[in-house]
Amino acid sequence: MNITQALEIIRNSPKGPRPFDVTLACGFTPLHLQTFLAAYLQRALPEREVKVTPGLFGSLVDTVKECSRNESPNLVIALEWADLDLRLGYRAFHVWDSGTVPELIATSEKSLENLLRILEPLATKGRIVLSTPTLPIAPIFHTNSWYLSESEAVLQAEVREFERKAIQAGISVVNEMKLATLSPSATRYDLKSDLLLGIPYSLTHADALAQALAQLMHPCTPKKGIITDLDDTLWAGLVGEVGAEGVHWDLEHHAGLHGHYQMLLASLSYAGVLVGVASKNDPEIVEKAFKRNDILLRSERIFPMEVHWHAKSGSVSRILKAWNISVDAVVFVDDNPAELAEVAAVHSGIECIQFPTRDYAAGLQVLLRLRDLYGKERLRAEDAVRLKSIRASGEFRAEEGEEISEEFLKQANAVVEFDDRPSEAGARPLELVNKTNQFNLNGIRYTESEWRAEASRPDCCFLVVDYRDRFGILGKISVLLGFLDAECLRVRTWVMSCRAFGRRIEYQCLQTLFERYAIRAIEFELIATEKNGPLRKFMTSLIDARIGQTAVLTRERFAQVCPPLYHTTTETRSSSLDAKNKGPLSEVL
Amino acid sequence: MPKTKDRLVKCFEIVFPQLERAEIPEASQANVTAWDSIAAITLVNVIEDEFGFTMDLEALPELYSFERILAYVNTLNLAPSENN
Repeated sequence: MNITQALEIIRNSPKGPRPFDVTLACGFTPLHLQTFLAAYLQRALPEREVKVTPGLFGSLVDTVKECSRNESPNLVIALEWADLDLRLGYRAFHVWDSGTVPELIATSEKSLENLLRILEPLATKGRIVLSTPTLPIAPIFHTNSWYLSESEAVLQAEVREFERKAIQAGISVVNEMKLATLSPSATRYDLKSDLLLGIPYSLTHADALAQALAQLMHPCTPKKGIITDLDDTLWAGLVGEVGAEGVHWDLEHHAGLHGHYQMLLASLSYAGVLVGVASKNDPEIVEKAFKRNDILLRSERIFPMEVHWHAKSGSVSRILKAWNISVDAVVFVDDNPAELAEVAAVHSGIECIQFPTRDYAAGLQVLLRLRDLYGKERLRAEDAVRLKSIRASGEFRAEEGEEISEEFLKQANAVVEFDDRPSEAGARPLELVNKTNQFNLNGIRYTESEWRAEASRPDCCFLVVDYRDRFGILGKISVLLGFLDAECLRVRTWVMSCRAFGRRIEYQCLQTLFERYAIRAIEFELIATEKNGPLRKFMTSLIDARIGQTAVLTRERFAQVCPPLYHTTTETRSSSLDAKNKGPLSEVL
Repeated sequence: MPKTKDRLVKCFEIVFPQLERAEIPEASQANVTAWDSIAAITLVNVIEDEFGFTMDLEALPELYSFERILAYVNTLNLAPSENN
């Protein structure tokens, strides 16, 4: 992006009542960084106005302190050496003697400790992203620049330690190695601009760093599933021709790229990504190949496995149905461009990637691209059980149009746990809210700061729902957030994972709300989105829901329409629930 | 290819969207309140993007009006002078 494009993006930003406010803390003139940061964030949030406000020149710590007064801050920090000690930058003029370097090391350590002390509490209430020094230190050490001097090593170690502690505190830190691929260190610093204007970053570096900071402030939604071909993709060779022992993924047969691809898929699978196979092959031979001891992606990590001679677009359809996720959350990888085109023609929105069998440079780019598409900041307990629960859902799911058997539900031994403590729920609820499409009341997405602000309102009612049955553990599968007003609960956000459909959990949620808060009615802030058909269908069965208006469900109406529920429920309540639950109806009840 | 002057007007429109197109040739730091030091640097960057050359930051104090900038750009622009 160049500065003209950035300004045009900013100029065309929508003006609305809910701007996305970001504070930029840095010790230099923020101009270009601010412009690019605003543009990248604006591009990531096209429906909201982005406002990036810089702090005062030269006072990074003061800007951070000022920001800590904010209820739920979004804070971007671009830290440079001069923020640790002015003498480490180029704009301070100082005589260097033998005592200076030890003094610098001590002050830098103190500066980092001080900054961390201010940031740690801030990270609990807002989203903080940080880049540690990206520019060279002024040439102050006694060694020539090919040597890493001990003092420089100590300074770098102090920064690494600071990064580690910051990450532990929940702060997102820019990965310097990734940044270096976009912005090589030799092109980052502009001495003239620094000395004349106080802008140390070259335009290209400001652009790259802003891109990294924006990505951390508002990460892309990770993809959920990957569908892979087998021959010349998962392994080298055509298994139908050379047999199960004749395909390779090792160094000896110059097939290491396939081995790395298998390793990546296995690792993604353990991180909760769904892996499916779509291959035109003989299923028996494929099964033999997967039984080899040296296979890195084991068949247990794959579901479903579509191996036959029919069109791959059909295989993709069946896999998507089994996973019950939308096509834009999936990547299809195949070495054959014709297969990719056939799938893309039928499944609009699917990302298709060609596996470059013999082009190692392109192969590396594919591996890195896949890692980025599926990258998530933290792994949750739900990630570990996703595959198992999808398999279980396969057993559970009634065929379309077919009624679920009461007997089947009775014998499911289902347990639904409700927890109303946002502070204990971790980051999973927000993740669920921001990625769920089908059972989503209105499609409203939140930033971390906005979510925390909503959940900390005194009238807020928050429920996170955990589910398990004899088929397996689904984990946290539903989140509900609303506001209590006397005898009515106004629900602003309600999502449920598609893995949990068909178990009447949604009815159990509503029943629990009526009982728990002793309310007469629930109002839903229902908005039709492109993808929330399943939610709307459910709401229509409950009430005469009018899209775009508030839909109201009374206690009496719910009693009429609620089917029998067989779940065992458990509840974990916060101490504030009693205070919330003192409406007039609670006395009657 | 648009004339240098038109291309420069476009740069001003990007940095000072509040200015009418007709006002731009008369614009200067004295009559455009938004033209502060930050806007001046941004303007330089946008002009560099548009014309593909690098401007000397030390010349910034002299570039206080549209007219002055146009003259400066003409000295750097290798194309034949088709400015006015």
